[in-house]
Amino acid sequence: MNIRKINLRYSKWVIILAFITLPLFLLFTFTYLPFGEMVTYSFYKMKYIGERTFVGLKNYKDLFTRDDIFNSLKLSLYYMGGSVVQLVLALLLATLLSFKTKLGNLFKGILFFPFLINGIAIGFIFKFFFTHGFVFDTVLSWVGFPVESLPYWLKTQGLNNVSLVGTSVWRYLGQNMVLFIGAIMSVDSELYEAAELDGASKVQQFFHIILPSIKTIVTLNIILSITGSLSAFEPPFVITKGANGTGTYFIIMDQVAHTSQKVGLASAMAVFLLLIIFVVTIIQKLVLKYAFRNADTGSGKGDIL
Amino acid sequence: MKKLFKVLSAIAAAAVILSITACSKKEQTKSSSTGVISYSQVELGKTGTEISATIKLLTHRTDMLQSSYTGVTFAKYLEEFNKLYPNIKVEIEGITDYASIALLRLQGGDWGDIMMIPAIDKKELKNYFVSFGDLKTMEKQIKFATNWEYENQVYGIPSTGNAQGVLYNKKVFKQAGITKLPKTTDEFIQALKLIKEKTNAIPLYTNYAAGWTMGAWDAYLGGSATGDADYMNNVLLHTKNPFKNYNDGTHAYAVYKVLYDAAANKLIEDDYTTTDWEGCKGMINRGEIGTMVLGSWAFTQMQGAGPNPDDIGYMSFPITINGKQYASAGPDYCFGINAKASETNKNAAMIFVKWFTEKSGFAYNEGGIPISAEDNNYPAAYAAFSENNVAFVSDNPAAAGESDLFNALNSESELNINAGGNLKVQQIIEHAANGTKSFDAIMEEWNAAWSKAQTSEGVEIKY
Repeated sequence: MNIRKINLRYSKWVIILAFITLPLFLLFTFTYLPFGEMVTYSFYKMKYIGERTFVGLKNYKDLFTRDDIFNSLKLSLYYMGGSVVQLVLALLLATLLSFKTKLGNLFKGILFFPFLINGIAIGFIFKFFFTHGFVFDTVLSWVGFPVESLPYWLKTQGLNNVSLVGTSVWRYLGQNMVLFIGAIMSVDSELYEAAELDGASKVQQFFHIILPSIKTIVTLNIILSITGSLSAFEPPFVITKGANGTGTYFIIMDQVAHTSQKVGLASAMAVFLLLIIFVVTIIQKLVLKYAFRNADTGSGKGDIL
Repeated sequence: MKKLFKVLSAIAAAAVILSITACSKKEQTKSSSTGVISYSQVELGKTGTEISATIKLLTHRTDMLQSSYTGVTFAKYLEEFNKLYPNIKVEIEGITDYASIALLRLQGGDWGDIMMIPAIDKKELKNYFVSFGDLKTMEKQIKFATNWEYENQVYGIPSTGNAQGVLYNKKVFKQAGITKLPKTTDEFIQALKLIKEKTNAIPLYTNYAAGWTMGAWDAYLGGSATGDADYMNNVLLHTKNPFKNYNDGTHAYAVYKVLYDAAANKLIEDDYTTTDWEGCKGMINRGEIGTMVLGSWAFTQMQGAGPNPDDIGYMSFPITINGKQYASAGPDYCFGINAKASETNKNAAMIFVKWFTEKSGFAYNEGGIPISAEDNNYPAAYAAFSENNVAFVSDNPAAAGESDLFNALNSESELNINAGGNLKVQQIIEHAANGTKSFDAIMEEWNAAWSKAQTSEGVEIKY
């Protein structure tokens, strides 16, 4: 190679490295370094200030003997169920709204709006929304359900988790939908014409053209939804503060860390949650790889993960 | 090539500058403790008139920062203060969810000059706060001096004092035909039942959803339930199974049983998961609520929330010990001065704290126990206490060497008594309303957790 080519390759690498330095530095300082410290904390018995005593794996052993932790993981199942509903609805609405529909933009706006509202405000809104005889009950009574027969949305254990999951779905449906709309719009419109010529119905078009083309985004959303369900915190925290059987894993971790000031145990809980997420993500990847094994996008792009 | 080099060096420089600005802290001037005036030395109006400083106060009273506050706002207090000390400017930052955020700010370091001391271990006090003086001197200056005392130095001065009792609406009681204030827990439940039968008011409003209103019940298991000034910080720590049934209507068992029975007999609000703290103040004022279990600090707030301030009454918690009633009296949040502030700021802060304690009238305005040692001007809230000969009981501090044992037991057992243990009390209501667990079973669990913590901390069982 001549000198100019070597210089070009060299300068290319130098530029790349120069631009990467700052983000990598920030990533290290604000993500990896604190995470490393937290893993260290999980081997100690400590509060926020004061001395720390090394206890080895005791925190992890304590984790497994507590029943409130495993009960809280069961609550994630409610949130996972909710996220399935959310994804299906988002896909459906996205498909409908990707093509020219009357007032399409208005609907997109209305559906996306909840995502923009601050989490604490949502907590206040929904506490009043679910109060017996207030907003939700009044609306249902217009549709024909008498107020006395309606359950207590937040008091009844079991049902209160469904109410909270409903709030979460309401909030994130719009965001999922907009992502899907973006992905669907990237599908080549010639494919639809070709399919129509071949006599394919809309439903067949969806399953055989749209879904395979956007499989990357769908996979990503499924993975994010599942990990989001495992670490659900905001809806139960702002609406019920995790009381009355709505305390998810994250909320218990917050209680342990900030009220009982058992920082070591809380760090161990966080590490344990991370391990669960790893395992679940790997399982998901394998399952989805199998499910989408016949999908051929034609563009030759691989999975992003 | 030269151009590339220029670009590279610019980027490297930017990276370095950014990291420096992100990590820099304000210059801390080392202060010598010999130059700081002590609390007892401050003569208001004379000492420190030459000091010119701006100090920052962190407070939990976010409501007092709003002009819509029905009592005396911070702005008014500062106006009065500046008449005496025009050169000391005080900036106030209100923090919601004070208990946990204050701990984080303390850990962060650069938080200002005065804060309300959060729940920390006493041995950490000298690392973060300035001593106001030694115990003997301070006991002549203020009440509750032992609250934040460690190794003979006092680090915290209470902003106000509270007595623990029960709020009630006098009109509702009259309507229900309750002529004498209940003195035992059984009489209290009877009274609640009368309210339910004869009026439309909610007999006992628990404020379940707010959380902290539930943890507030922990304050009653000391003096109010036992009449013993040593119970909370000494006896409780060394008692085996403190939540057991004493069979005489006293101790923690009796306190929480009131809540359980009220919930089980449907004497509380219909849907406790959606209670409204701000709304309840107006409700009790208008006679829609019969009783609420809260400290005396709530008295003036309930009075000011509606058109009937005279209907609000305050009684002692319905427990009688050997024919006498007791009310725990204790300090509310206490002022602490930053040990790392500059000397000028420390002096300015010292002056402000002394003025606030002795001259501002804050405690009286808020319906609390006045802090200055010679001040016996108790507000109207305590009228019923003096009528019924209720004795105030102030908790004695922990024994030497055990000042942080309570915190350790709280943390280990996760009961968090008087330290944010809202969930455990909320669970009492849940189990009572849903019939999922008997009261004795719940108390058994608490006893087991406490015993486990005592074993783990190596505590000697004496009672």
